[in-house]
Amino acid sequence: MTDTGSITENWLRDSRTRRPLAPVQQPGYYPGYDVMGQKAFWDAATRRVIEERLYKIPQIRFFDESELPTITAVSNRIVPQDDRTPERRIPIVPFIDDRLYRNQIDGYRFADMPSDQEAYRLGIRAIDETARAIHCMPFGDLDPLKQDFILKSIHEEKRLAAHAVWQKMSIARFWYLLVGDCVGVYYAHPWAWNEIGFGGPAYPRAYTRLEGGLPEPWEVDEQRYAWEAPSNSISDLYDTHKGTGNISEQEVTD
Amino acid sequence: MNRALATIDQHIKEGRFQRSLALVAATSSFVSGLEVSYEHYKGSYSNPVMYSPVALSGLLTATALAGFFKKSAAEGPLRWIAAITLADGLIGFGFHIRGIRRKPGGWRLPLTNIVMGPPIFAPLLFGTAAYLAFIASYLRREGDHKHESEIRYCGWRGELREGRFQKHLCGVAAAWTLFSGVEAWYSHFKSRFRIWAQWTPVILAPIQFGACIGGIFNSRVARRMLPASSAVATANGAVGFFYHARGIARRPGAMRHWLYNLLYGPPIFAPLLFSACGALGLLACLLRRESRD
Amino acid sequence: MKTPLFGAFQPPHEDERILGSMPRISLKEMQHFRESEPVDYCIVGVGSAGGVLCQRLAKAGFKVVGLEAGPFWDTERDWVSDEKGSHKLYWTDLRITGGEDPLALGENNSGKGVGGGSVHWAAFAPRFHPSDFRVYTDDGVGSDWPISYEDVKPYYELLEREMPVAGPAHFPWGDPHGYPYGPHPVGEVGNVLIKGCTKLGIPVVAGGPIAILSGSRGDRPHCIYRGYCIQGCKVGAKASTLITHVPEALRYGVEIRDRSMAFRISTGRKTRVNGVLYYDDEGREHFQRAKAVIVSGYAIETPRLLLNSACPGHEAGLANASDSVGRYLMAQAGNVLLGRFSELIRMYKTPPAHSMTEHFYETDPDRGFARGFAIQTVAPLPIAFAKQMMKAKGAWGWGMRRVLMDYNHWATLGVLGEILPWPENRVQLAEEKDQFGIPVASVTFTLHDNDKKLIEFGKKTVMEVMRAAGAEEVVQESRYAHLVGAARMGSDPATSVVDRFGRTHDVSNLFICDGSTLPTQGSANPGLTIQALAARTADYLISQGEKIFSSEERDMTPPPVRRKLAVAGTFVHGIPRLWN
Repeated sequence: MTDTGSITENWLRDSRTRRPLAPVQQPGYYPGYDVMGQKAFWDAATRRVIEERLYKIPQIRFFDESELPTITAVSNRIVPQDDRTPERRIPIVPFIDDRLYRNQIDGYRFADMPSDQEAYRLGIRAIDETARAIHCMPFGDLDPLKQDFILKSIHEEKRLAAHAVWQKMSIARFWYLLVGDCVGVYYAHPWAWNEIGFGGPAYPRAYTRLEGGLPEPWEVDEQRYAWEAPSNSISDLYDTHKGTGNISEQEVTD
Repeated sequence: MNRALATIDQHIKEGRFQRSLALVAATSSFVSGLEVSYEHYKGSYSNPVMYSPVALSGLLTATALAGFFKKSAAEGPLRWIAAITLADGLIGFGFHIRGIRRKPGGWRLPLTNIVMGPPIFAPLLFGTAAYLAFIASYLRREGDHKHESEIRYCGWRGELREGRFQKHLCGVAAAWTLFSGVEAWYSHFKSRFRIWAQWTPVILAPIQFGACIGGIFNSRVARRMLPASSAVATANGAVGFFYHARGIARRPGAMRHWLYNLLYGPPIFAPLLFSACGALGLLACLLRRESRD
Repeated sequence: MKTPLFGAFQPPHEDERILGSMPRISLKEMQHFRESEPVDYCIVGVGSAGGVLCQRLAKAGFKVVGLEAGPFWDTERDWVSDEKGSHKLYWTDLRITGGEDPLALGENNSGKGVGGGSVHWAAFAPRFHPSDFRVYTDDGVGSDWPISYEDVKPYYELLEREMPVAGPAHFPWGDPHGYPYGPHPVGEVGNVLIKGCTKLGIPVVAGGPIAILSGSRGDRPHCIYRGYCIQGCKVGAKASTLITHVPEALRYGVEIRDRSMAFRISTGRKTRVNGVLYYDDEGREHFQRAKAVIVSGYAIETPRLLLNSACPGHEAGLANASDSVGRYLMAQAGNVLLGRFSELIRMYKTPPAHSMTEHFYETDPDRGFARGFAIQTVAPLPIAFAKQMMKAKGAWGWGMRRVLMDYNHWATLGVLGEILPWPENRVQLAEEKDQFGIPVASVTFTLHDNDKKLIEFGKKTVMEVMRAAGAEEVVQESRYAHLVGAARMGSDPATSVVDRFGRTHDVSNLFICDGSTLPTQGSANPGLTIQALAARTADYLISQGEKIFSSEERDMTPPPVRRKLAVAGTFVHGIPRLWN
C-alpha cells in the first residue's frame, strides 16, 4: 500500500499552481454530498445491501499469501486512491476475492480464456514474473511509477515477460477482466457515488428534476477543481482507438 | 369611452352582467378544458373517469355560450351543468389526492409526490371555473330591464342576483389564488426557480390571497388593496404566459415537436389561470358588498 | 427532510408476495399438478413469451405447468435499487463464447427468474417493420419469414394495449401507428438526441415507445423516473410478464414451478414428446408429464435444451433433422457512443430508454449495405459507464477516476443495428458442464461484411448526431444487444426448425415460442415481437384444441385473434388509437 503519510509525490496536484493537493475524505466535484444521508428514503432491502457493502468487508479466502500483495498493489494502481485519506479508501481486493471464492461469474467465458479464478492466478503470476524479470523485485515492492509501466504494458497488449502465461489466455481480455472487476467494486460503493455525484438508490423516492442536469433538493451543485495526476503515475492517459473494436471485445445488452 | 365604462360599472353594481360572466365562464371552461385534455393525455386516460372533465368542460363551454345568447339557457341548463362540473372537479380532487397517496412512498414523501404526481389543485381550479358559470346563472342580464323576470331569490342567491356579492367573490378569488399559487410554487420548484421571474407568482400569490381574505372582512381592503394586488397579479400572469410560450419554443426540437413540447414544456395555460385570480379580484372590488343581515 | 414522514421505509410485513410497489399476489392457492398426470402444456421458461403463453392458455382452460430455472420474484424483498446487487436477475451460469467476434454474454443477456428478460429489459417496445418479414425477397439477404407483418399486426396492437406501451401519438416508421399511452417526459439524454437529430434534419420521437406506464393503471403506479429499469422495476411501472400476465395466469390455474432447471425433453412414442425432465432446487430429478411441450428458454437455452434432448431418432438434437437448431443466431449491433457536454446531463435520472429514431432502419442502396439501424437513448449507471469507458477511452487508473468524476457531463446514445442471420453463428454444446451436470452452451459469433459496413455507418451517424447536439468529445464502445434466432421459423423443414405457428417440423407436439424462432431481427428491440408472437401461438394452440395432443395432423389455418383472452381490463384503460 503506498504510504501517503509523507510522500507528496503520490498526491494530486492543482493544475494551475502545480502545488500538491492533500488527500481529502471525499474527492470529486460534489463537496458535502452524502448519498448515505438519504438512506431513510430507500427501501429496506436496498438499505441492507448497501450498508453491508459499507460495513461488512469480506474475508480474504481466495487469494493466497503470495498473491495477495501483488493483487493489492495492482488494484491500488488500477483504481488509485491516494487522493483519499486512508480511512476513506474503498476496499477493492476483498470484494474481488469474495466473488471469485463464491464463483459468482458474469455468465460467460471466452473460448480463449480460462475460468475467472484461473485467469486471476495466471495474471497475478504473469505480473509478478514481469516485475522480477525487469526489476528483480516482486510487483508489490516496486514504486508506483514502475508498477504503472508494467500495467500499462498489459493494457497495450505488450507481452514483456511471462510468455508461458500469456499463451494460456488473452492478454487483452485479462486486462478487461481485471479493470472491470476493480471499477465494478469501486463504483458500487457509496463513497464513490458521492465522488461522482450519482443519486444512488432511488426507490421509493426517485427524482423530480429530470432535465437540464438539475440537482435534486438533496443533491449538490458541481464545484469543479482542476487537478493533475501525481507525478509518479502514467495512468491519466487515454487511448480512444481502443474503442473502435480492434480487440474484438463485445458485450451483449438488452 | 367613459360612458361605456360607466355603464359597465353600473351593470356590475346591479348584478346585471350575466351575459358577460357567461362569456367569461365559457372562455375559462374552454381553456381549462384544453388544459385538462392534454394533462390527462399525459396521464394516458388510464382511468376512464379522466374523460369526464373533458366531456363536461366541452358541455359547459357550449352551455355557457348558449347562455350568452339565450336567457333560458343561462338560467336552466347552465346552472345544472355548472353544478355537475363543479362536483366533477371535487371528485377529481379526490382522485388526485388518492393518486398521490398511491405513488411509491405516498404521502410520506409529500414534496416529491406532489411535484411528480397528479397536479393536486388542478381539479379544484377546474371546478372553480365551473363555479363562475354557476354564479352567472343567478345574475340578471344586461339590457334586460323590460323583460325582467319575476324570479326573486332569497339569501345569498338574492345577493348574487342584485350584484351584492363582493365577499362571496373575494372568497372565490382567494380559493383560486391559493390553488394556482400552490401550482405555480411546486411547478417552479421542479425547475429549481432557474429563471428569477419564476419567483414572482410565488411571492404575489400570498399577497393576493391576503388581499382577498382581507376583502371578505374589511371593505376598505376590498376597495384599496385588492384592486392593486389584483392588477399586479393579472399583469404577472400575462408576463408568465409569454415566458411559458418562450420556454416551449426553446425546447429541443422546438416547433417540430410542438405537441410533445406543449405537453412537457412549461404548461401554457397555467399563467393565464394565475392571471384569472387577479381578474376575479378586480371584479370583486367593483361589486357591492352583501347587505348586512 | 431527513427522512420520509413517519421515519425510514421499513420492510414489508405482509405474507403475500409483492410484485411492485402496490400489487400483491398469494401463491397459497396456486394449483399443484401431479407429475404423473400429464398436464396439457408444459412450458419451459416463464419469461417474456412463457409468461404470455401461461396466461393465455390457462385462461382458455388448459392445464398448464410453467417451469422456470430462476426464482419467482418478490420484488420488494428480492430486488434492490442497486447495480451490483442485481446480478441475480440475469442468467449468470456458465456459457462459452467464441468465434471471431465473440459475444460477451454478460449480465444483460437473458434473464433468470419469472419474467425472464422482461424483468431487466430497458423496455423499448417498437414493432418490426413490414420489410423485416421479407428481407430476402426485397434485399437478397437473410431469409424471409413464413408469415407477414399483417399476421402479427393484430397482436402488436393487442400487446401494446396489454403491457401497455407508452409512446408518441404518431410513430412514423414502418407501419405508422400511435400508442395507447401517452409519451413520457424525457431526460437530458433524450434532449441530446432530439437536439442532434433536429439539427441534422433527422426525424425523431420523444417519450417512447417504451413498455412503461405513463399513467397509473389499476394497482400499478406510473413511472417514478428512477433510472433503474435494467435492475428490475420495483415500482411495477415497467411491464414484465411477472406483473402483466403471470398474476392472471395464476388466477386461471397455472402452476409455476420456480427454481426448476429443465435438462431434457422426454420423447415417448417416436415422433412425440411426453414431458420434461428437470432438477429442482435441491438437485432432485423430476419428470413432469405433458401432452405437449412449449420451449420458451430464449435464444441460448432453447437450442441448448433441444441439443441436450438428443435421443434415438433425434441424434443431432431434438427437432434437429434440419441441422438448424442453434444456427442463425443473431445479436444486434449495440455500439454505444458516449459524448461529453459542457453542461450537466445527469443521465441516471429517467428510464434509460426514452427516445429513438428509426430513420435509418430501412435499406438505402446508396449506403452500400443492406438493412439499417435505429438510434436509441441509453443511460448507463456508474459501473456500466466505467466499464464502457474502460473500452471507449482505454481508461484506467487516474484516467478512470477523472472521467468518472465527470460522469454527470456525459450522455450516451446507442446504435441498434441489424446483423444478418448466418448459419455459422450458432449455439452448440460445450464440453463443460454446469452445476447440474448439464452440458453448457457454446456460442460462436462472427461478423460478416454487410454487418461491419452497417456498424461503421451507424457509428459515424450517431457520432454526427452527438456532435450536432453539442458534444465536445465523442467516444465509442463496441457491443451487442439482444439475442435472437437459433431455432428459426420457416416453411421448409430442411432449413428451419419450426413452422409459422411455432410447431417444430419434426415433432408435432413440441413447440418453440420465444426469441429463438425469429428468422431476422430488424433494428427493433425484440421484446414486443416476442410477446406478440406468443399471443399468436397461443391463439393457434387454442384453435387446434385437442388435435395438438392426439393428432399428427398439421392444420395451418390461421387462428382468429382472441381479444377476449387479453389480460382483464386491457381495453378499459388508455387512449383510443387515433391513427390506423
